[in-house]
Formats: sequence, structure tokens, C-alpha cells
Amino acid sequence: MLYWSLKTLFSEPMRLIISALAVAVSFILVIFFSAVFEGESEQMVVYLEEMEADVWVMQKGVSNMHMASSMVWDWKADKIAQMPEVKEVAAILYFNGGVKIGGKDWFSYVIGISPEYRRTGPWAMAQGNAMPGPGEAVIPEVISQLTGVQIGDEITMIDRPLRIVGLSKETFSMSSSIVFVSRGELGDLLEGRDQFSYIMVYAEPGVNAKALAELIKQEIDKVNALTSEAFIASDRQLAVQMGAEIVRMMTMIGTLLATLIVAFTAYSLIARKKQELAIAKALGFGNGQIYLAALSQSVVVTVLGLLFAVLISFTLLEWLPAVVPQINLSIRLHQFTAIAMVTLPVAILASLVAARTVAKLDPMTVFHQ
Amino acid sequence: MNTDTLLKAIALNKYFGQGDALVRAVENVSLEIRRGEMVLIMGPSGSGKTTLLSMLGALLSPTSGQIAIAGTDISSMKAAALAALRAQKIGFVFQAFNLLEALSVEENILFPAQLSAEGVQGARERLDELLERLGLTTRRKALPNTLSGGEKQRVAIARALINKPPIILADEPTGNLDSHKGQEVMMILHDIARDEGCAVLMVTHDPRVEEIADRVLWLEDGALRDRKSEQHSWVTDPVCGMRVDEWTASVTTEYNDKKFVFCSARCLSRFNAQPERYLNETKHRVQD
Repeated sequence: MLYWSLKTLFSEPMRLIISALAVAVSFILVIFFSAVFEGESEQMVVYLEEMEADVWVMQKGVSNMHMASSMVWDWKADKIAQMPEVKEVAAILYFNGGVKIGGKDWFSYVIGISPEYRRTGPWAMAQGNAMPGPGEAVIPEVISQLTGVQIGDEITMIDRPLRIVGLSKETFSMSSSIVFVSRGELGDLLEGRDQFSYIMVYAEPGVNAKALAELIKQEIDKVNALTSEAFIASDRQLAVQMGAEIVRMMTMIGTLLATLIVAFTAYSLIARKKQELAIAKALGFGNGQIYLAALSQSVVVTVLGLLFAVLISFTLLEWLPAVVPQINLSIRLHQFTAIAMVTLPVAILASLVAARTVAKLDPMTVFHQ
Repeated sequence: MNTDTLLKAIALNKYFGQGDALVRAVENVSLEIRRGEMVLIMGPSGSGKTTLLSMLGALLSPTSGQIAIAGTDISSMKAAALAALRAQKIGFVFQAFNLLEALSVEENILFPAQLSAEGVQGARERLDELLERLGLTTRRKALPNTLSGGEKQRVAIARALINKPPIILADEPTGNLDSHKGQEVMMILHDIARDEGCAVLMVTHDPRVEEIADRVLWLEDGALRDRKSEQHSWVTDPVCGMRVDEWTASVTTEYNDKKFVFCSARCLSRFNAQPERYLNETKHRVQD
């Protein structure tokens, strides 16, 4: 019966491919939304990752960078730098908010950097100067491409005009791009000339980051210190919380769509082969065996749909960023695992429609011409 | 029950509907078919032949009465047990052939073997034997849509025989075949009954079959009645020239206010395509 079901399915390859492609479309939707979300989430922590610090120090009570505000006296950076376990520190002033570029507000991480601390600025440049001075800014290259602004053009940050001196790579995100300005400029604006927001700590070789973070919390008053791993995880968690509901909903819609398509395919296949199934019933095959045949067809269509979805997604994900630079896409194995895990329930659920038809199938129809 | 009795029905009744809409499709039918016997059920259209065949084939439950298949009383059997019984004890041959379109000739024949104790592999020898016997050896890999009507029916017969069932039930097996192919199929079924010791029960309108059948049961208004063999109304099929019993024929048409009777649907479709040609040929045949 299983052989019959697969042979019947593959005897009409065009119909099978169209059905599988329809299923693939719904899975691609899920993969695409998931990839956008994952890409955006990764982009939100890209600065933290690129800095490669061992420990991040911030104002007490703060444990995030995204949507957070932190102020730490600058002498605390010096004090941390003097600890024997610390090899080097770097510090930035930071705020998040809208920056007007090319007539449009872009929600950005504005990072105030100073030449005394290496590593705090952009890590990859497309064009221009990576270290903005007073009245200057480095913006993401993608915003320049999208708005047409160039080096030398003006942008506005809290009513203060700044001249673009550099275009950075890998710093654009739909929800939080990174704009670099001079620490002095930002300190002026935030009235925090003698303050930092975050201090990056680089430990001496062999020093445990977690122990160092604990030590800093004990030694330095009113600060929070997190290992880089914990700090990134905390920001990523925030991103997930913000987008998880949307992604869950999109996944549900995609899965529902896939289920409906597979159900329709399974049902139409059963409906078209009713007479043959009635023959099988008359010859002595039971409802269970016939239902398994219908299920196997659903599973094949669904798995084939998933394979198509993966192939098409990978092709699209390679090609899309070049065409639509503002989209950050990222595919990880766990996303495919999650989709692969819903595949079987989708196939089973979809074949239930066919099961009803199988159960009602009258073997007496074999006598009809 | 006699050990040679393979199929036995006692006081079978099948009613459909209720009250004024009650239809007595089969009424008080008792019969017994023995090993090696070929029995025909004949009767006018709507007389309950297919309903009776369905009950005897364990496809339809009787309203009352008893059926024993190869010595097993099936009256109280559940659907799953009936399905298993059909797989082991009954071979079906249908008017519409009912082959599985995606499967080749040999795959179609082996299809019910999945349900037998020896399985598909164990049935391969039997498959070769049947292909040889039914002249299908060169067509074993062919798909049903490339076969002629006669070949399709031979495949259906081979499929019915693959599990060596003691009972073969055939529903109008010659209905879609021309007279020559129909005759060939009838002879195959007759030989099977004789050589394999099966009981062949056949519903048919084809009076030519009467000559090779061991017994003819006449069903009218759902009940078995006696009918003497001379009670026929013979007419000639205008297409193939075969003798057809007008009383029992189901394939008929009207042309120029005249009724024409055919031995098969195939002859009817040929007639419908070129009625004048066949009427002329009939005229010449009469003059000759």
C-alpha cells in the first residue's frame, strides 16, 4: 500500500512539485521572518561582540546596552585600569535615540569615542575617517546608500549639526544603527564631560572573566560588571523578548498555511484516487493501511516542501542582502531544526482530512462504472 | 456443511430505507456453491444482482440471514476481520477492470499479495505462472493505460487469483469487452474454476455465458426464481452479430424509434458512432 501511495504520488511529478513548492512558500515565509529577526538580533549586539572585551562595566542597576542609559564617573575607568588583573580598559559614552540623516530619523546607538581608547570605534570602514573629531560623525554606509548622503554632508543629532567624515561597514540595522561621534561632542550634549557610559575591560592572560567581574563589583563602588558573554546574552534576550511574539505569530501563520496546503494536497490526492482506494478496501486493505498510505503522501509532500524551502531560502539569503542592503538576515541551524520539527505534525495534521475521507470510503463503489 | 461447499447463503435479506420508502433489494435468498462450480446470477437490471454479490463478497452486511465463506460464518464478523477474510478467501473481478493506474501489470497483480501470509516475495512464482497462463508475460511491465480492454480484464483476473482464493466473484466481467474478448475472459474463468477448484460466482447479462456455466440463478425483484433455459427472447447485436437475450440485456439504445440490444458497452459505442453503417450491415446479413 505504501508502495502504491509513493508510486501514485511520483507518477505525476509536476503535480507533486507544484504541491511541494506551495508548501515550500509557507515554510520560506517562516524561515524568512525568522532570518530577519535573527539577523536583527545579531546586529543589535554586533558592537558588543566586535569590541571583544572580557568584562563590561556600567552603572549599578544597568545590565543592558539596548534601550538603556548608563553613567559612570571617568575616574572609575582609571581605577579599574590600575587593577593588577586588568591589562587594558577602553570606555565610551553612549545614548540611543533618533539621528536625522538625509531628512529621516534613524533610531541609532550613538557612541562617543576618543582617540585615547583604541578598539572603541568602527571596526570596518567603507570610506573616510574612522575617528570623528568635534562636530563630526561616522555613519553606516547602508544609510548613505539609502539616503544618498555622502561624506561632507550634514546630519543632526539632538539639534546639533554634525558633518559626516566616514562611512562604516556592518553597523546598520533597521532598529538600531551605530553612529560614532567624538566623546567630547556627546559629553557636551549629555552634560557628562567627565563621565562614561560603559567601560570595556581586557583582562591579563589567565585571569577568569567572571572572577574579574566580581572583583570589579567589590572594588569599585556603584557599578555593575558583567562578563562579555553575560552582557551580550542579556542584550540578545531583550531583543528576543521584543521580537519573539511577532516571530512566534509569523511562525504560527506559516505553519498553519503549510498545514492547509498539505491538507489540501493530501485531500485532493485522496479525492482523485477514491476509486483506487475503494478497490484497495474491497481487496481487503484496512482503514489503517489506507490512512498510512495517505499519511506517507503528506509526509513526502511536506518533507519535499521543506527541502525546497531550505534550498530556496539559502539562495535568497545569499542574494537578498546585495539587493536590499537594509535587511540583516541570519540563518542558524536551530531555525531549521525548529521548522523540521514542525514538519511531521504538519503532515499528520494535514492527513487527518484525508483520513476522514478514507474512513467514509465505500468499497461498494468498485461496482460503479 | 459439505466440505466442497465454498459459499453458502441462508435466507439472505437486504432492505434499504424505511416505511413507504423501503426497498427490498434482496429477499430471502439461499444458495450454495461448491468447489469447481461456475454459477451465474442473471436477471433484469435493478433485480438486486450486485447487492447480492456485494453481500456474498463481505462488502455489504445483510439485513438478516447468514453467509458462510469457506466454512466461516461471517454474520458477526467486524469490519477488520471481514477485510482480512476478503484478502484471503475472495478474488474480485469487476466490469470496469479497476486496475491501479500508477502500477505496472505485475505490480497490479501482486497488489493483494501484500495481504497474504507469504507476502509479495512469496507470490512471485505464482505471478509468473499467472502471467504465462493469461498470456501477459510480455506485458508485465506495461502500465494499465497502454493495455487493451481484454488485457486489462486478464490482469484483473490474475490479481483476483494471486492469493489463491477459493472463491472468485465477478461482476459483469465481459461488460466492457467485445464479443471475442468477452468469450476469451469467460473461458479463462471457466478453466480457473475447473483447474484450481475455485467457486466462480458471476453476475452477468451475457446469455452466451450460460452455455459454459454449471448453473444459472435467476434473480428477479430481489428473489431467486426458476427460469427455464428456453425462456429467452433472442435478438441480434447489430454490431457484432451475436445472439443477445433481450429480456436480460442491459446495454440497449433507441435509434429512429427502434430499440437495439447489444452484447456489450463497446458494441453500443461503436453503434453510436456509425449507426447507419451497422443498420446497413444488418440488412445485408438478413438478405444473405
